[in-house]
Amino acid sequence: MRIVGLILVVILGSVLFYGSLAFPPWGDPASPASSHLSPYYIEKAMEDTSVPNLVTAVLADYRGYDTMFETIVIFAAGIACIVLLRTFKETESGSRLYRHIPTGITLKIDKKGRFPEDSVVFERIDSHWVPHDLIVKTTCRLIVPFIQIFALYVIAHGHHSPGGGFQGGVILGAAMIIYAIAFNLRSAIRRMSERSAVMLSSLGVFIYAGTGALCMLFGLNYLDYSALAGLLGVDPVTARSHGILIVEIGVGIAVMAVIVTLYYNLASAGRHDEGL
Amino acid sequence: MVQQLPAIIVVAPLFASFFVFFFGWRNKHLAFPMAMGGVSVCVVSAIAILDTVIRQGTIQYRLGGWAPPWGIEYRVDHLTAFMLCLVSMVGWLAAMYAKKSIEKELPEKICLFWSLFMLLMTGLLGIIITADMFNLFVLLEVASLTSYALVAIGGSKAPLASLRYLIIGTVGASFYLIGIGYLYIATGSLNMEDLRLLLPGMYGSRVVQTAFVFIFIGFAIKIALFPLHSWQPDAYTFAPSAVSVLISTAVAKTFVYALIRIIFSVFTLNFIKEILPVFGFICWVAALAMIMGSIFAIKQTNLKRMLAYSSIANVGYIVLAIGLAPSSTLGLTPAVMHIVNHAVIKGCMFMAACGFIYRYNMWDIRQFTGLGRRMPYTSLAMILAALAMIGMPPGVGFITKWYLILAALEARGYVFVVVIFISTLLMIIYFWRVIEIMYIRPEKENTFPGKPGVNEIPASMLIPGLLLGILSFVLGVVWISGTFHPLLYAINTGFGFGGTP
Repeated sequence: MRIVGLILVVILGSVLFYGSLAFPPWGDPASPASSHLSPYYIEKAMEDTSVPNLVTAVLADYRGYDTMFETIVIFAAGIACIVLLRTFKETESGSRLYRHIPTGITLKIDKKGRFPEDSVVFERIDSHWVPHDLIVKTTCRLIVPFIQIFALYVIAHGHHSPGGGFQGGVILGAAMIIYAIAFNLRSAIRRMSERSAVMLSSLGVFIYAGTGALCMLFGLNYLDYSALAGLLGVDPVTARSHGILIVEIGVGIAVMAVIVTLYYNLASAGRHDEGL
Repeated sequence: MVQQLPAIIVVAPLFASFFVFFFGWRNKHLAFPMAMGGVSVCVVSAIAILDTVIRQGTIQYRLGGWAPPWGIEYRVDHLTAFMLCLVSMVGWLAAMYAKKSIEKELPEKICLFWSLFMLLMTGLLGIIITADMFNLFVLLEVASLTSYALVAIGGSKAPLASLRYLIIGTVGASFYLIGIGYLYIATGSLNMEDLRLLLPGMYGSRVVQTAFVFIFIGFAIKIALFPLHSWQPDAYTFAPSAVSVLISTAVAKTFVYALIRIIFSVFTLNFIKEILPVFGFICWVAALAMIMGSIFAIKQTNLKRMLAYSSIANVGYIVLAIGLAPSSTLGLTPAVMHIVNHAVIKGCMFMAACGFIYRYNMWDIRQFTGLGRRMPYTSLAMILAALAMIGMPPGVGFITKWYLILAALEARGYVFVVVIFISTLLMIIYFWRVIEIMYIRPEKENTFPGKPGVNEIPASMLIPGLLLGILSFVLGVVWISGTFHPLLYAINTGFGFGGTP
């Protein structure tokens, strides 16, 4: 079987290679790919959408419908991960770990013992014990706000520079994950519960699809942002630029929430028992 | 409102999926009504679209208001509208069927199941309606990803089956993507209509020919054409009941439709007839699928697995019909007919087979003794569909085979007539075995736990199955009566075929 597979791969690979020999020369300005549709985008994008970044204009406006479904793919991946990993049966592990905050000592209390209340003195921690590390935690505390601000900048500045919802969302999610790694899953889930992550992922894609539907309510086609001109109080071309910003925010929220959901499920093998 | 329908039919299940996820997370009883509402909107819009297309001809819809080669366009012609109706109706029946079976099989994941189900519907309807090659790929991803997840919920061996499905399916999707890439390099366009106009000048180009080969192989994997079917039996067998019903009908048929759309709308008949005459070869592959699928089906003892192999044989029928299309005056008529017919028959069979599992956890055909008396209506649905598939007139299987034989005779492919007869004989063998054990062999003691006598599945599962069972004969009469002939004529002329239906 392996040899058959190898032969097939070689045959298909050589067909691909054979086909690629007839490509137009690399970087040829007269090739169909750069002479058929691209000139229109290059000449008209600013006029049509008032977005200086051509890539953003094509991605979120001319072909915004594709981008909406790219977001849906991520949303679907999030649901798929919950479906596969999340176990809904509550299992209580035998013993619990607590940290005595003033001294930093970790206590293991067996099932029969008396569990202390969560307070300023005692803090329950993950059952997989993570060493208490002042340097890591403090560094993380310091950089997380900057990561988040940078993420917001990437989302909001997608019109003018490389960036946008997907990249910004990933950075926002990464900020949450670094917090969860430096502290523990319990603390992260206390900041953003599983339910709010799930709700946010749904809300994010809803903002995108809802903007499209809103355009339809104003009498134009789906995702034709110029329909929002009246609502936003600007001219139709500027409305396109604002519309792009709205959907980018939606994408950012959805991506961030899905990334966090994926991390929670993978890190706790779907049990979430550390935070519930 | 009417001109917005092409967007509504895709977006309605999408919104339903968000709402199911958002509200169903708190209260799982809300999930089913919202999902059902979404599918119902699809059915109504599909019928309205078909009506509009029949009255006014092709509908075009510009997403975002951008003109076609620059923006994304929806084009609804007769075949598109017809497929929208088929898939949304099958989806509606599968959703009806799914309610009880999911409540039993996956009680804690109801809300997740329904949101995936609605996303899958979005993907399928989007694939059918789009006129943009790349948009088709994105929706293919949505549909594939959700079907992998839905298969994997099944428990026990399902995750492994799903992993194989995922790996092989992703290879298929990437082949398609490579094909689009090559086409884009050659033409600089992604719009199907635009490509159809641009391509004739460069039919000789190796880039275009390679693109065709890769797109064809990519979809051959997705539709489980023999010998690229290895993911399919496991995926169909281990998936939860409701998912088996949906992916064996709606998903498989949508991919076949996408293949037809790309071969005949983008590459056109001329390309196939003059530049790359591969359809003779495709017919032989299809004939092999028809025979081998049936032989494998005979070997199976698990009913769902047998049906899965039978699906491989039936994909062979559809591909044979596509392969014969350029060389006969019937054009795509047999292919379109068998897409509908097989969706009806296989939907009914999977509903019945999963009904046996639901009630008695029976999947081994050898245990079925006496089942015909315990579950008379479910068994009746099974048998109606089996008879229709074997080809008892006026069942739908008979109509397909009749038209296929006509097409084969006209194309002078006498071998394929023999292949159709052989595969029918093989079908009789594997379905008769089921019928014999269910009705004729005496019931063993202690086979059936619980109360004695008739013990049927709930009405919401039984009625869709019976309906499809009856439809598999009624539809045969409808095909003969010629009600759909104007539609089939319009479909054929739309693709540049002669056009006697």
